Order: sequence, then C-alpha cells, then structure tokens
Amino acid sequence: MREFRFDRPADVGDAVRRSGSDTAFLAGGTTLVDLMKLEVMSPRHVLDINRLPLRGIDATGGGLRIGALERMSDVAADPHVRRGYPVLSRALELSASGQLRNMASIGGNLLQRTRCGYFRDVSTPCNKRQPGSGCPAVEGENRTHAVLGTSDSCVATHPSDLAVALVALDAKVRLRGRDGTRTVDLRDFYPLPGDTPHLEHDLRPGELVTEVVVPPLDWATRSTYLKIRDRQSYEFALSSAAVAVRRVGDTIVEARVAVGGMGTRPWRLPAVEKALAGRRAGEDTYATAAAAAVEGARPLRHNAFKPELMKRTLIRALLELEQPR
Amino acid sequence: MTQYEGITRRGLLGLAGSAAVAATAPSDGGSAAARTTTEEVAVRMTVNGTATSLTADPRTTLLDALRDRMRLTGTKKGCDRGQCGACTVHVDGRRVVSCLTLLASVDGATVTTIEGLADGDRLHPLQRAFIDHDGLQCGFCTPGQIMSAAAVIAEGGARTDSEIREQMSGNICRCSAYPGIAAAIRQARAEMR
Amino acid sequence: MTPSPIGRRTDRVDGPAKVTGSAPYAADYRPEGLVHAHLVQATVGRGEVRGMDVSRAEAAPGVIAVFTPFRPLPLNPPSPQHSGENYSALQDTAVRFRGQIIGLVVADTAERARDAAALVTADYAVTPPRTSLADAGPGVPQGLVQKLAPGTPSIDAALASSPVTVTTSVSQHAQHHIAMEPHATTAVWVDDQLTVYTGAQAPQQAAATIAARLGVEPGKVRLICRYTGGGFGQRSPVWNEALLCAAAARELGRPVKLVLSREQVFTAIGHRGAVRQTIRLGADADGRLRALSHDSDGELPAAGGWRMMPGRETSAVMYRTPNIRIDQRLVTLDTPPTWSMRAPAEAPGMFALETAMDELAARTGVDPVELRLRNYATEDPVEGRRFSSKHLDECYRVGAQRFGWDRRSARPRSRTDGDWLIGMGMASAVYIAWRQPASARARFLDDGHVAVGSGTSDPGTGASTVLAVVAADELELPVGSITAEVGDSALPPGGVGAYGSSVTTSTVPAVQAACRAAVEALVRSAVDNPRSPFAGLDPASVRYRRGRVEARGRSVDFPTLLRAMGLPHVEAVGTAAPDQSASRYRFHCFGAHFCEVRVHRLTGEPRVNRFTSVFDVGRVVNAKAARGQLVGSIIWGIGHALLEADPIEPDGRFAAASMADYLVPVHADTPEIDVHWLDRPDPHISESGVRGLGEIGMISAAAAIGNAVYNATGVRVHDLPITLDKLL
Repeated sequence: MREFRFDRPADVGDAVRRSGSDTAFLAGGTTLVDLMKLEVMSPRHVLDINRLPLRGIDATGGGLRIGALERMSDVAADPHVRRGYPVLSRALELSASGQLRNMASIGGNLLQRTRCGYFRDVSTPCNKRQPGSGCPAVEGENRTHAVLGTSDSCVATHPSDLAVALVALDAKVRLRGRDGTRTVDLRDFYPLPGDTPHLEHDLRPGELVTEVVVPPLDWATRSTYLKIRDRQSYEFALSSAAVAVRRVGDTIVEARVAVGGMGTRPWRLPAVEKALAGRRAGEDTYATAAAAAVEGARPLRHNAFKPELMKRTLIRALLELEQPR
Repeated sequence: MTQYEGITRRGLLGLAGSAAVAATAPSDGGSAAARTTTEEVAVRMTVNGTATSLTADPRTTLLDALRDRMRLTGTKKGCDRGQCGACTVHVDGRRVVSCLTLLASVDGATVTTIEGLADGDRLHPLQRAFIDHDGLQCGFCTPGQIMSAAAVIAEGGARTDSEIREQMSGNICRCSAYPGIAAAIRQARAEMR
Repeated sequence: MTPSPIGRRTDRVDGPAKVTGSAPYAADYRPEGLVHAHLVQATVGRGEVRGMDVSRAEAAPGVIAVFTPFRPLPLNPPSPQHSGENYSALQDTAVRFRGQIIGLVVADTAERARDAAALVTADYAVTPPRTSLADAGPGVPQGLVQKLAPGTPSIDAALASSPVTVTTSVSQHAQHHIAMEPHATTAVWVDDQLTVYTGAQAPQQAAATIAARLGVEPGKVRLICRYTGGGFGQRSPVWNEALLCAAAARELGRPVKLVLSREQVFTAIGHRGAVRQTIRLGADADGRLRALSHDSDGELPAAGGWRMMPGRETSAVMYRTPNIRIDQRLVTLDTPPTWSMRAPAEAPGMFALETAMDELAARTGVDPVELRLRNYATEDPVEGRRFSSKHLDECYRVGAQRFGWDRRSARPRSRTDGDWLIGMGMASAVYIAWRQPASARARFLDDGHVAVGSGTSDPGTGASTVLAVVAADELELPVGSITAEVGDSALPPGGVGAYGSSVTTSTVPAVQAACRAAVEALVRSAVDNPRSPFAGLDPASVRYRRGRVEARGRSVDFPTLLRAMGLPHVEAVGTAAPDQSASRYRFHCFGAHFCEVRVHRLTGEPRVNRFTSVFDVGRVVNAKAARGQLVGSIIWGIGHALLEADPIEPDGRFAAASMADYLVPVHADTPEIDVHWLDRPDPHISESGVRGLGEIGMISAAAAIGNAVYNATGVRVHDLPITLDKLL
C-alpha cells in the first residue's frame, strides 16, 4: 500500500471540490482497501465520505431512492425493498458475506472492480490496470471470465450482483460533480471495454455517486435473482440472472431480464424480454426465449460452458418465479 | 482514557514524527522511523468499553491497530483481504472484517473484539458453547467465528440451521469444525434470547 | 472409583484460551526491539536473477535492511536426505519457480516492510519453465510393486484374460492446505541462543533443522509453538521463510518477525502436487478381482518436494487380488515445492481406486457394497501380512444400515427431488496406522496439578487433550488436574511430529509409561526423603492411589507430600516404542463412506446432502475431538471432490493463489454428517489399542461423492474437481 493523505470532507460539495486525479473516495472500503494493499490502486489522497448525508431509502412516491452510502445489508433488509423489489434484496443477500455486506455501500458496490485474477496480480500484465500492457486472460485461465461484451483487450466480468438487478429495473445513478448534478441510466454507465478497458464507468473526474434511483415498477414484486457458483456461498457468480415478469393469467405480458457473470458489464437482455412477451408462461417458452440470450457470445478456452449455463440459469430463474415464495 | 502512545510502543510501531521514537527505538531503525512523509491521523474509539485515542499512519487498518497498537491479538489476520472472516469484530454493534477497515475511518466508533465479549472471567454463552460442542480445532478462526455469531444472533438471524450456515459462511474454518460451530450457535442462541 | 475418561467426551483443554482469544500464535509475540520483515518473490517461472534494484526500498521510510542474492543472509544448504526444498534461499541467483524467495525487506513496521518490498525490482534471464503435468510424458518410476499369480507373465496378460475390465483415468490439480494461520515466525536471539516462535507440527525436528541450516549447535535453538493455527502437513518441514527470518534476526542483532501474506503462502510453502492416475481392474463376471493395476504420474518440483506415491498404501493393501502392479512415477516440473497435505497420497490414490471400483460395480451389476465384500482382504495382497485388527465389513454393514443404502437405485438418474437429481454413492477408506517411538514427561507439582508434556504439537488435532485424558486415566485424577504441555522443542527429546495420524498412536503409550515412572519416582522420593511421612519405608509397601500416597494406614495427597518434602515437583520421562512382534501385522484404520448428493437438473451444481461414515479406528481417547477430526476430514473430502484446484499456468503462475480463487468449503457447503466408529481396540498396536484418526475421514470421501454424482446424473467426472460445467 502506498502512502496517502487521509481527509474527511465536510460536505458533498467539499468532497467533490477536493477530489482530483489521484483521489479515491472511501466508503465501505471493501474494494478500495483491498486493492490498495495489492497495489492495484494507489491513490495519494483518500477522502472518507462516510459521514456525508448520502443515506436513506425512500419509497415515497413510487420507486426507490437509495442513498449511495446505504450499506448493502440495510438495503437488503429494508421492508420496501423486500416487498417491492425482491430481485434487489436477493441479489444483495447472495453477495459476499454478512460482514462485507455490513460494510460495503451501494455506491461502492456499483463501482467495485473486476475479480479477474490478472487484474488483481500486479506481477502480470493487464490492460485495465496498465493500459497497453496486454491481457493474459484471453489465452490464460479464463473459466470465470466473460463471454459477452468482450474485446481482445479485456475479457473480465463485472462482479456486482446488485448492478445486474438494478439494470433489469432500469435504475439510474445520480452523480454530483463540480458542474452540478446529473442522472445516468445504469445501463449506460458502464462502457464496453473495447480497446480502453481501463475506462470502467461514466464518472467524470471528481464526480461522486450520490444516489441510486429505481423507477416505479409495481410488478417487480414478482422478481428474483438467481446466482450460480461452485461454492454454495461467499463466492462471485459464475452465472446469475435477474428476472421480473408481469403476467396476466398464464400469459407473460412483460419481462425484465439481465444476467451476471457473463458480461464485461451487467448485461440486460432485451431480446429475451421480447421473446417472452405475449407468450404463455412455462419451461418451453423460457427455453425458447433463453436461446436469444447467447447471441454474440464469444466463449474462451475454459469457459465454453458459459453460454449454455446462461440459458439454463435464465430458465431456472424464470421457473423459480412461478414458485410461491 | 487509555493513551496508546507509550514511548516503547511508538518506537516499535513506527509511529513517526516524534522525538520519543528516535530516542527509544534501537539505533539502526530509529532514524528511519523518525522520517515521515505521511500525515498521521488521530483516532478516538471506545474499544471493549475503554475510551482510547491514538495517532497512526493512515495506512493502518483497524485489524493492525488492534493487534499491534492495542495488543488485542485475539483478532486474527487470516488473509488480510476480506476473504476469510478471521478478523471479524463489531463496529458500532455490526460485524465487519477489520482487515478492510481503515482505522482512520472508524474514528468515534465503538469497537468490540473477542477480548471484550466475556463478562469478566465468565465466558460469554457463545464461548462456553463453542467449547461444549467442540466448535473449534486449531482455534485460529475461532475469535472471528464467535464475533460473527454474536452479531448474527443479535441481529435476529440464526433462526434455522440453514440460516446459520448461510449467515456464517463469511467465516472460513479450514479445520472444518462447522457442525460443531452450528451446534454451538443453536445452544447460545437459546441462552442469549 | 472415578470412571476412566478414555473414550468419553472431554472438552479441549485449550478451549478456554482459544475461545477468549488469549491463546498466543506465532504472530502474536512481540518481544522488545522487534522489527518486521516481508518477502520478495520471483515473478518469472524459471531462470536467473541478473540484477535487482533495491534503492527505492532502501530509501523508503523505516527500512532497515534489504537482503537479496546479492546481499545474502548466510544459510547452510539442506542435507541431501531432506526431502523438502532442496536449496537455501538467497544463496544463489537461480530462479527455480515463480514465487521463489529472492529478497527479504526488514523495516520498523510491518506495513513499511510490506510497502517497501513492493518497490524492489528484479531483472531476469528467463528460461521457459516446465509446468504442465498433463503435457508431460510418463515420469520416472519410483520402484515397482508387483505380485503376479504363478504362471501369469504380466499384469497386462492378467487383465487381458479377465472377463470384465475397467480402465479409469483420473487427475487432479495442485491443492493447498490453507491452514487459517498464515506462516509466521518471530525470531529472537539472546547471545548465541535462538528462540523461534513459529507454527510447527514437529517442533523438535524443526528446531534441529533450523540449527543445522543456521550452522549452530542443536541445543542453541528452541522452537515454541504452543498454539499452531492449523497444520495439515504444511507445517511439518521448515521452509526457507522461517530460516531467513532467523538469519535476519542474527544479522541485525534484534528480534525479527516475518508474517507471510496469504498469497505468499501459496508459493513459498509447499502444495499437494498435481497427479494423474490410471487404474485398470480385471474381474470375473461376478466382480471378483483377478488383476489390479495402478499407475500414477505425480508432480515433483525441481526445487524439491514431497514424493507423491498414491498407490502404495491404497491399491497395495485394499483388496484381495491374485495379480497386482503398482507403478508410481514422478515428473520433474519447475513448480513451487510440493508437500504432504492431509491424507497426502491416499486421498488421491483412493479416489482413483474407489472410482474404478464403482465403475466395476456398474459394469457387473453387483451392488457396490457387495462388490467390496466379495473382494475383502484379511491380509494385504502384496506381502500377505495379516491386518492387526480389521472390521471394515462391520463398517459397511453398520454404515449401510444407518444411511439407508437399501433405498439406492443402481440405475443413474432415477431419483429426483423437485428439480434436483438425487444420487447415492459409497466408498471404502484405508489409512496406515503408524506408531513411532515416542517420549513424554509427567511431573507431579506441589500445586496439585500434574503436568504432562511431550515434544509434539497440537495444531488443532486435540493432542494436548489426549495427553491430559490418558494421564488422568493413568493417575486416577480428574482431567482438570492435568496440565498438558506441547509445542516446545525444549520438552524432553522424543516427541513425534503431528503428521501421518501418528501422534495419538505413538504418544499414548509414552504418556502411560511416563505416568507410571512418575508414580515410581514419587514413591521413591516418599521413602527416601527424610522430611516425608513415609521416610524409610519399603517402597513395596507404599502405594499410589487417586492422587494420594498411602502406606500403613496413612494417606497423603501428593501436593501435601511434595510440600512436606520441600520439593516443587517430582517428575519422570517415559518412552515407548512398538513391539518387535508387531512387524507380523499390517496396521491400518478403515472406514466406509455413504453419501447422498443433489445435482440441479438445469444448472448442474453438485451439492452434498448428507454423509454417513463409519470407522474402524481402534480405541478412541476423546470422543469429542475425535468426532471433530473425522467430521472435519470428511468436509475436506467435499473440498477435494467439488472445489479445490489450483491450475498452474505455462509461465509457472498459480491461477488461484488467493482465498477468493482457491475455494475451500464454507459453512453453507456443510451437510448433515453422521459419523460413527466401532469400539474395537487394536489388540496388537499397543496396550491401549489406540490408532490415530486425523487422515482417515478424508480418504475416499471424494470418491463417495463422485460415485453419488454418477448415480444422480449418469456422468462420471474423472478430472477433479467435479464442477457444474462438467455436469451440464
């Protein structure tokens, strides 16, 4: 860990003002402190934003507004979230461990860095960490890597479960910068790696995530998050699916579908949603629709199973929605 | 208030920027320890019921401060990456991994470690239950397991066996005393409620 | 008369210290004047360090010294008999594997040492390393074990003439011990006397090694490991890191602590080597074996390591067969050193054999339990020596009954529970019972306690509680009156290392001998000491009973007696070694695992529902800790089967060198585990009939899981771990 200066800004404006290219905002610390120890991140200036008033889970007026500093465990336990958006509480509960969920903030969760082993090991090249140095994962150990949205420069998966659920819900992030605030669709927040995998999000220098906004979706009460992994718990997803379905009788009217563990960013699947709409609920429909998920998938040497696993994860998640909870 | 700024400790722990360091640290390390490029941070906490203040290099984690500065070595460093749970402590009543908690960020907090769990010489119900059900072998993960379990029970969790297993999955026990740990939590849960 | 504590459920004697956090482990010691070290490791797989730039590290705040091959710390080479690392770190510029130690940075704080170490750079001449076991041809044979029936020319001929044959090839990657305590050493020199605080499974052997490598007299090194945060094999030898720490402390004239990062443990400390195996079985149509062939190719690093011989104590002892051939080969690779890891060769070996047996059962249509009974051996099939005490048939019977084996359908994919496919599998376990000569000391103390010590270690095995229980039994005292002492090389010589399930087997007789000798010494003092109330009596007329010395109607408890005599303690050392006549027998533990798994029909993840395992382990000393060992070991089998693998990359890098990437079981992976043991003391191993049980639970647990996965899915996974991608 490189030496740094530690400060606690007085308010959001102060935080944004004091932030620069060598600055990192500290919230829960579960990504930042980890990566600082590994020397993957070496900010010279750490701004502890934990006392800023970016808290609160507000469900008045439909939808949700979640302060960026709310902790994962608190959001997961919130009655509005549990009742109205089970996909969110499930995604949170299946993340990391109880201790880490108590620490990690919602904003930090959305900005967490990939778990690619090469990214985390500074003795290897990595285009994300050191632009232009190369990507050993393309030919290396890539069982857990992405099959969607990859490039020759980067095949790292986006690690967040929460982001997958939020993308399915059309969530937005509110950002505060030196020039004021703006709101960005989470779907557009994460660029594809292309040949600039070090650019991981649409944050401008100094900008701070202040809030996550989930638009109203009354049928999100019928939603879930399924996470598939080798170990039963305390592991990142090999594959995951966030699904929400609006049904009238046996007919699916609308659906929201996104997958994790598959893409270089949380991956919304409009083609699958379209293939579900207007169809009769049931495994055959799900299987047909899920086939659309894998279009454009580019498997690597060790993850050729992933497209098939993605389809099956989707089918299973949609089937689980039919079960009484 | 306990002041963890004792001269010997400071010298050994490299709390730079004090004349006392150079005066007491053995010769070849002393001058180096006195050099400082980092601005130290001052932190006040209540640790196991005792008000505590110390200044430290901002790189210091809560884990290292507890172990090296306060001599509370019951909290263990198993991975230093948030991947094992051995360093679990309570900050303001919530379980966290102290290895990923910067000391500076818990200024003003109340911290409880394994050393602060028992009521004097009387073991906490979980400590007793871990012995009763042999929820330990090598003992290295045990303080973290117990601190984690205490928080889970306090949060109202651990209601079923499958909840215990899921909620305790952030605490790895390589000896794999898991069934004994689960049994201990069942026993203590009944006593703690 | 107090009932004997042997076989009962006794709390761990070190439980209170462990649950309160007061038990000191190696990194918890903090001698005055301490400074901190951090390793620098090679980042190429093989070659030469041409130069290193340490200037930035040396200039970093708090840095005291930077040692490299260009500024080495003096260390002697390991003795040629040493089977671990075959070189001493920093003594030359060769890079033997990626992760080899090439530097040691010492600073005033651990953070500063760590952060300065990251500033050290090295310039290498790189040679492509040999890293792939899969791509290597057959290795170098390590001595063939073969027995053929009269007139049979070869194993191939025996197999060719068998009505049914099965060929099973299995493989597994490197595995890591992952003891929860990362390797840590605190080294303190006072004049020419070194005290080393470091976790160790064999403190006395380790102290001797450290002395030899540092070039000091054996008596000058004391190793203390009262608490050791897990061993599993990784702490049985001394690794270069601990030697460098001690050498740096000598060089700098002050105490040095070196705590490895978790990632460093993966390469600086040995791993279980990768291994490929092929079993060929030839049988009659009813499953009776005619021939068994077991070939293996194991990883043997050029830098040294533990020799993977997975057939010797498995296929060579398990089943009756007229023809048998074991060919164990080793392949030299430029990988980090290998080392013994719990059930070191037997876990892989029995996975291979018991997978093949399951395939034979499927082929012949014979029930897997029945198949094993048809091939039951009462003597080992190679040497023809009888087993001292074998009740494996009873394990099968009791286990099948407890588990409900009769509910299993032989046809794969025939049971479901909702969307889960359910399967049942079984496998048999065997592990050698190894008794070594051992010593112990018993000491009557004037505070009313008896201290019982042995120069072994308790890295969580429960050894110290075993000492206390056996002494309590022998001396007719409550367990609470006994203080157990382990983990100190200064205890009387003759402590056995905590490996090979040998501590309990070997040390129980020594503790009994020590207690008897101490009683004799106490009685002798009582009659010899002029201040004793028994002074001048014939020792034959004085007896010891339940902590009291009695004669002529007078009875004095031992602390009162000691105080009267003005003696703080009376002690004796006892030693015990296996009887010569024991060589007539083969000593083994046995077990039968029964396991139920579920596999999701869509996403394929395998999960263990429940285990029933029944063991024949001789007499059990402490039922509580024994259960913990067996249950924990079975969970290791779950890791072996479903999770644990660290593939090595072409450049020599471990792909999963962290606890997030190398997966070990967590709470949620733990099923209901029903462990039972037969109460069958071994009549020949020792008076007490005790056999150790640290490894047996793990052996074949993975095979039982694999066999259950086959029963659930119809898919046989031969390359461990059995992950969902192989079951889709």
